[in-house]
Formats: sequence, C-alpha cells, structure tokens
Amino acid sequence: MKEKFDRGTALTIFRNDRLEDIGALVLSLVIAFLVYNFVN
Amino acid sequence: MIYTHKTIWTLILGIIMVAFGYLVQAGVLNPMIEFLNLAKFVGKPESPGEMIILPFVCGIIAIVVGLWQFAVKPKEGNLDYYLSTVAGVMFILIIAFVVKWGLDPLMGVWGKALKPTLGFDIHSVMNLNYVVMGILAGIITVNVFNIPSWAENGVRLSRLGLKTGVVLLGVLYSWQELANLAGLSVVMIAAFVLGSVGLVLWMGARRKIPNSMGGVLSAGVGVCGVSAAVAAAPVVNAKSTEIAYTIGTILLWGVLMMFIFPIVGKQMGMNPTQFGAWAGTGILNSAQVAGAALAFEPDGIDTLKVAEIFNITRILFLPIIVLWLALWYVEREAGAQKVSHGSVIFSKFPLFVLGFIVMFILGSTGMFAPGSELPGKYFDNSEKHLVKKDKEGNVKESKMLSDKDAEVLKAEADKVTDGTQKAALASMLENKKATSFEHDRQLASIMNSHVLSVKANKVLKKMHSAVYKPAPRISKFRDIIAWFFTFGLVGLGMQITMASIKQAGGQPLIIGSFVGAVKAVGSLIVVWLLVKEIV
Repeated sequence: MKEKFDRGTALTIFRNDRLEDIGALVLSLVIAFLVYNFVN
Repeated sequence: MIYTHKTIWTLILGIIMVAFGYLVQAGVLNPMIEFLNLAKFVGKPESPGEMIILPFVCGIIAIVVGLWQFAVKPKEGNLDYYLSTVAGVMFILIIAFVVKWGLDPLMGVWGKALKPTLGFDIHSVMNLNYVVMGILAGIITVNVFNIPSWAENGVRLSRLGLKTGVVLLGVLYSWQELANLAGLSVVMIAAFVLGSVGLVLWMGARRKIPNSMGGVLSAGVGVCGVSAAVAAAPVVNAKSTEIAYTIGTILLWGVLMMFIFPIVGKQMGMNPTQFGAWAGTGILNSAQVAGAALAFEPDGIDTLKVAEIFNITRILFLPIIVLWLALWYVEREAGAQKVSHGSVIFSKFPLFVLGFIVMFILGSTGMFAPGSELPGKYFDNSEKHLVKKDKEGNVKESKMLSDKDAEVLKAEADKVTDGTQKAALASMLENKKATSFEHDRQLASIMNSHVLSVKANKVLKKMHSAVYKPAPRISKFRDIIAWFFTFGLVGLGMQITMASIKQAGGQPLIIGSFVGAVKAVGSLIVVWLLVKEIV
C-alpha cells in the first residue's frame, strides 16, 4: 500500500496514526475556539 | 517530491460552489428549494444556513488555492503537500452537496409520490438517506469513473474527517450519559472483543493457518477493523499479503453490514440506544459503525453518540489485544522477538480518544452551553429533559398539553396521514408532552404542512415551544460534526475499491465471515434482550 505514496498510505496522508490523531485534535480545538468565539 | 497538480479543477470547483451559494442566497433557486423542502438548510437573511455558508466558505478557499496553484511554482515541502489536498476535499464536498441537498430530498419526494402505487415508501424502507447514498456515490465514483489524480490526496483525508468528528462528538455528552453508557459498553465490548479474538485464534489453529495470519485477522475482526489489523501486524510479523487478506475480509463484511444493519434495525423497531449499541459492537470496522449509525438516524445524532461510545470502548481495547497477541506469538514462534509491555501499550494507545476526552471535559465546563439552560448536577446536553421544568425539577403545568387542547387535536388527528407523524401525535396525546426530539420534529412538520386547522396548529406551536432547544453553540457543533462525518463517509466510499475487496479469500475469509456473523447475530440478541432503556 505504501509504494504509491511518498508520505502516508492509501488511507491517510499522514506518516502514522499518531500524527493523524494529533491532526484531528488540533482541528477540533480550532473549531471549538471558532464556535466559542463566533456563535451565540 | 512535488504534490501539487497544475489543474484547473480546483478553481472550477471553487467557482461552482460560490455560484451555487450566490444563487441560493439571491433566491434564484427558490422553486427547487420549495419543491425539495430545503428551507431549513437555507436559513434566514439574518442567520444564513449551511446551503449558503458552506458553498461560500469552501468555494472561496478553493478559488484562492486554485489561483495559487497556477500563479506560484510549488516547492517541495509541507505547504505543497497539505495544499495539494484541497482539490480532493472540494471534490468530495461537491458530491456530498449533491447527495444531501439534491438526491436525498428528491428520493423523499419520489418515495411519497410512488407510495400509492408501490404500497410502501421506498425512500424509507430501503433507507435511502444522504448517508447511504453518499457512501454509494463514493463507491461508484472510485469503481466506475476512478478518482482523478488531482483529488487523490484529498480523498486520503477522509479518515481524518471521521476522527475529527469523533473528537468533536465529545462535546455533546453529559456526565450522566457517559456514566449510563460506560458500564454497558465495557461489559459488552469486553465480552465480544475478547470472544472474537479468542475464536479467530482457535479457528485459525484448527484450520492450520500461519500464526501471523491468525494474529492479524483476530485483531481486525475482534477489535475495530483495518486500523487494528495494521496496528497488530508488526507484533505478529504479518506479511503484506496477510494484511491484505484481512483488510479485504473486513471491508467486505463492513460494507455489507453498514447497509444491512440500519434496515434490520428499523424493521425491528430499535431505539437509538439499542441500534447504537448493536452497531458499535457488531460491525467490524470503525468507519462503517459511524456510517450505519448515521444511516439509521440521518437527521439526529443520538444513535451516533451511543455507537461511538461503544466504538471508542473497543478501540481502547486495542493496546491490550496487541499486547496479548505479542505474548501469544512469542509463545508459538521460535525466534520471535520479545516485546516490552509498556512500550506496546504506549505506542498502540489511540491518541484521538484522548482528544475525545479533552473535548468532553471542555464541554463539561459549560463553556458551550449556559448552565442555567440545562438542568442536572452538571450541565446536560442530553435530550432527556424535553419539557421545561421549574426550580424544583417538576414539569411546569403550563407546559403540558391541557385537556381542552388535547380535544382540539384529537378531533383533527385523522387528517394526519403520515405514519411517523401520526405516532408522534398519538404519543403527545398520551403523555401530554413531546417525548423525544424526533417526535418534536414530527410535530413541527405537521404544523408546517398546514393539514390541521389554525386552532390545532396553535396548540402544536405551543407544545413545540415548550420543548428545550439545544443551545446555539451545541446546535452548531451538531451541524459541524454531521458534516465531518458526511465528508469522511463519502471519502471512505471512495476508498472501497473492488480490488481491495477482491483480496478477501481463502481461510481468512471463511474464519472472518464466521466470526463476523457470530458477532453480528450474538450482539443483536444481547442488545435485543438486555438493552431496553433510552439513555
């Protein structure tokens, strides 16, 4: 599965699951920040 | 390596999105919006809905990136790599827009129109909602037309979309819900995960498949699918063909179950807790759990909340199972390298579950919903507290359906022909209040359809306004989470290729199918017998 992509696999652009998890956490925190500040 | 494709499509997709947003905002598409009943997605001029905001925001991003790709010569590095995903993200979103705002409501209209001829609503019976059609659209796109090379990197972001959806979902749970669900999920998941792993290893030994094959298959079938198989592969020295066999088996079963589970659940009349518990336990792969839960309840998030707690619980079993497999493998294979227990647990711990906990804690502080609006020891986003209560926690008499109002509704109840709406009305007449948010939505739709008299509609409006509405920030989170899952599931469909499913075969397919079937049927029986309450 790895041969086609220089980074990541066919399932993800990240080099490993842990980076993807951190990406999801950072994205979630950014969204939470935006919702907190701009909704209401 | 340079990843950016000099393609005109990023720009074109951006222009299409902005143009669509403009046409919706300008009212040019009003006849279509009215015909497909999309007003709730359009919103009001002072608070535009998702059909205006999403196309504008995404379209502008795509236009800027599209122009950048032409104007600037990309240099190798992170900026080039991550920006190369934008075109694929827009490609998925355009398909999701067409499915959610076009095909899904159109099928709803056709389903109702064909009901007198067919005798049933095909849209409802076949469960053809936007989630199911979005995944199907992804599967058809990749297998019939192929993914354009400029969109490939964006499609590989779909799992990030699903994980972000799960992390954000943490905001929507209350302490009480987690406490109720945690005990049930730990017991059920422990039994089914350990049972499935043990059964695969036992069958593998009897059928004399290599230990490495048995190890990787047991993790995939027992825990949470593809990610678990990939995580367990190194500790059992699995070959790439063995991983491919496992992935093929899991995808075949996962896709089948994702479509079958919601139909069975609806036919059996399951409630969100029962279906969520069943899907979170019985479906092999994490992504398909979300797909089945949203397919079961496309307009709400209750089922997804229950299903994801079960899914997260089994993901938490991953480090333990990998450690078990490592020890099991060392025992059976001479020359296998011993592993450190601590390092296995640490390296295999799914970090995004911590993200979910972080979001849950943030939500529990009350920062997204004012505590005064939500009763309970801690603030509560659950949908149990439907009707406003006084300080002592008693439902205010003025918020209940009076006998006089009940008579007005009873006299006109026959005018309501839709089965779901009839059930919601009957439930309210019996309980003197709306008993679920779904019922509240149905009562609102009776009101909007104007089949009842003005007097009866006023009663419905009164009952509708007595129901707690989620705080605005919580509503926004729900919308955002639903879109992350929609994006992730359409992209997931694009990763389900016939080539990967065809990899399934031989002994792994037989063993995986047997254990998958036992798990699906066994969890259905347990859920049906033991899970009765609505959490």
